[in-house]
Amino acid sequence: MAFLSKVAAWFADPANWTGSSGIPTRLVEHLQISGESVAIAGVIALPIGILLGHYGRFGALALNVSNVGRALPSFGILVIAFQIFGLGDLPVILALTALAIPPMVTNSYVAMREVDPDIKEAAKGMGYRELAQLLQVELPLAVPLVMAGIRTSAVQVVATATLAAIIAGGGLGRYIIDGYGQQIYTEVFAGAVLVALLALATEVSLAGLERALVPRGIRLLRAPTAHRATTVKSA
Amino acid sequence: MNWKLRSAYLAVSIALAVAIGACGSTSTPATAKGTITVGGFAFSEGSVLAELYGQALQRDGYTVNFKLNLGNREVVAPALKSGQIDMYVGYAATDLEFYNNGAGEATGDAVATTAKLNSHLSSLNLVALTPSNTVDQNAFAVTKATADKYSLSKLSDLSAVASQFVLGAGPECKTRPFCLPGLESTYGLHFKDFKTLDTDGPLTRAALKSGAIQIGLVFSSDADLNSLGLVVLQDDKHLEAADNVVPILRTAVATDDAKTVLNNVSAKLTTADLVQMNAQVELLHQDADAVTKVWLQQHGF
Amino acid sequence: MGRGLFLDIVDPWINWDWLSPHLPLILSALQDHITLTAIAVVGGLVISLPLGVFARQFVAARNPVLTVSGILYTIPSLALFSFLVPYTGLSGLTAEIGLISYTVLILVRNVLVGLEAVPPDVLDAADGMGYRPLARLLTVELPLALPAIFAGVRIATVTTIGLVSITALIGIGGLGQLIYRGQIENFHTPLVVGVVLSIALAFVADLSLAGVQRLVVPWSRSA
Repeated sequence: MAFLSKVAAWFADPANWTGSSGIPTRLVEHLQISGESVAIAGVIALPIGILLGHYGRFGALALNVSNVGRALPSFGILVIAFQIFGLGDLPVILALTALAIPPMVTNSYVAMREVDPDIKEAAKGMGYRELAQLLQVELPLAVPLVMAGIRTSAVQVVATATLAAIIAGGGLGRYIIDGYGQQIYTEVFAGAVLVALLALATEVSLAGLERALVPRGIRLLRAPTAHRATTVKSA
Repeated sequence: MNWKLRSAYLAVSIALAVAIGACGSTSTPATAKGTITVGGFAFSEGSVLAELYGQALQRDGYTVNFKLNLGNREVVAPALKSGQIDMYVGYAATDLEFYNNGAGEATGDAVATTAKLNSHLSSLNLVALTPSNTVDQNAFAVTKATADKYSLSKLSDLSAVASQFVLGAGPECKTRPFCLPGLESTYGLHFKDFKTLDTDGPLTRAALKSGAIQIGLVFSSDADLNSLGLVVLQDDKHLEAADNVVPILRTAVATDDAKTVLNNVSAKLTTADLVQMNAQVELLHQDADAVTKVWLQQHGF
Repeated sequence: MGRGLFLDIVDPWINWDWLSPHLPLILSALQDHITLTAIAVVGGLVISLPLGVFARQFVAARNPVLTVSGILYTIPSLALFSFLVPYTGLSGLTAEIGLISYTVLILVRNVLVGLEAVPPDVLDAADGMGYRPLARLLTVELPLALPAIFAGVRIATVTTIGLVSITALIGIGGLGQLIYRGQIENFHTPLVVGVVLSIALAFVADLSLAGVQRLVVPWSRSA
């Protein structure tokens, strides 16, 4: 209990809210590397997964890439990225992007495969050309699962970005690593709380985004979503 | 059977084989002289020193467990106090200022510094042995280009430019008397910023090279500074003190026999030897335990 | 060949000459890694099976258990390990407490979901046939929940294999020791060996478990 009040004091201390190691700075750093990684991963992974799912090709590959992704040790990948690219955001973003790609490929592949073939037939019968069918019929139906993949990747990236501090990166992980290195456990705890809050905020806001993107008719069609399968934790 | 099932069986067989191999572990039987756990700091010289002193004990008949790359003193000292490790190889002045909470008692006299250190250690049931003549102090390095640009050869030359410089080191540097606080009080240097990197590791070197920092903490016994184009600034106001290599043990394992062996190593070790071993590990990527084994053989252990 | 960042000495990504004299070191790291993982997954199962059954029995506990486990899951493992060090030291115990925490968080969710997926008709039939609650749990519900539990075990195993390397930062580590040494000494070979073996181990473990799953619950859809 005394410890928790010390943590509260840490949060209340205005010195921790200013400067290059203040909470806002670290938060922005963390969001920046996470956001850039997820965005780059999305640009690569979503078209691949969506197109593979649309054409129904290389299914085994699309499904197994997430097995590969899960097997990557985040600590090792970050250290290798430093050894190749040195310091800065680049190695961190590359490592996080590599971790973010697999769930998005797999989920968007499965999302496209699960579109009811009858609906696709009906669209073709109504005269939709292929691109229009993809964009106006299949994608809207696939949005929930695609968004689930993006959400999985984003939360995983936010959590793993904590480790960037091991290769001198910024972000909220610095509180954990620097705190441990000086044996200041209030700082370690505060860092953990901040990362957990950020991960939850990411999850909630992307869930909100999904609700906004899914057309109302489709949302009514679907049964209440079962709990999303547990995701692999890489940090 | 289909290929999927076949590959599943193959995977299971491999897994079982690995697991069975894993179960057949060989653990060294404890010898009559007992077991000592030696802890090492998370920089390559830490492994060298831990292996050096630990293997000397091994060759004398002790069973030695090595726990290398544990972290900095803030992490290793509690492990020693709680008995998780029995010994680590420290540096007299820095250890004194650690255990006396930065009271400023360390001097350039290794014997006096170690005696003061022992006065603080005894209540913790720890003891520091006889310090070696081997020294490794904190040192502050800039790139050759920076040194040329600002005509830097000693630390007091920094007073003009410190406000433009970022200092990089491990997290403990912010509170260690021979690091940032010392630079501020002894030299009056106030840096633009402090960047937390690693303790004398590749992150600090990469940051110096990339210009992310302009001055970084290294060790005076590092062997790779020349080849990296790094220049150490001279400590003209003598901020650094007697950082002589000295083993620190729990009194429970500090038998006369163990102390004799360890003091023997300290007596024969020189700074040049340490730098040479560092060169083999840092530049040639030889194993710390291999280079220390050679040294011990050559010096009659 | 990989050129070191700034040294004239070339440090190849794998120095093959380093491998065979260091095979005992590599195998020892691998052995430690496997042991740490196995203890975490088995320990996690031992705790999460009763916990999941409990959450199933007491409907009021279900949502709190799922919500709390979801929140705790987002705590970075490095923070948890660091935090435990002052209490349990730089030891395997610290590593295992952290690792088991995460396997429990994964498995309890899957045990719960698996038990909930048992069709109510089957439960009625079992009751009708006179199964007492414990017998029904052990011989009807848990076997039918096995596919979900297996999926959880696979995820928990692969997750743990990745997290074990992080414990190198608190002096444990298994293959993470090789990775950490590669970083500290700026030496590529142990780093690459550690990463490659960690990936290979994750694959072998996942495939083996998939194989065992296929044998034990052949009716389940492959995950």
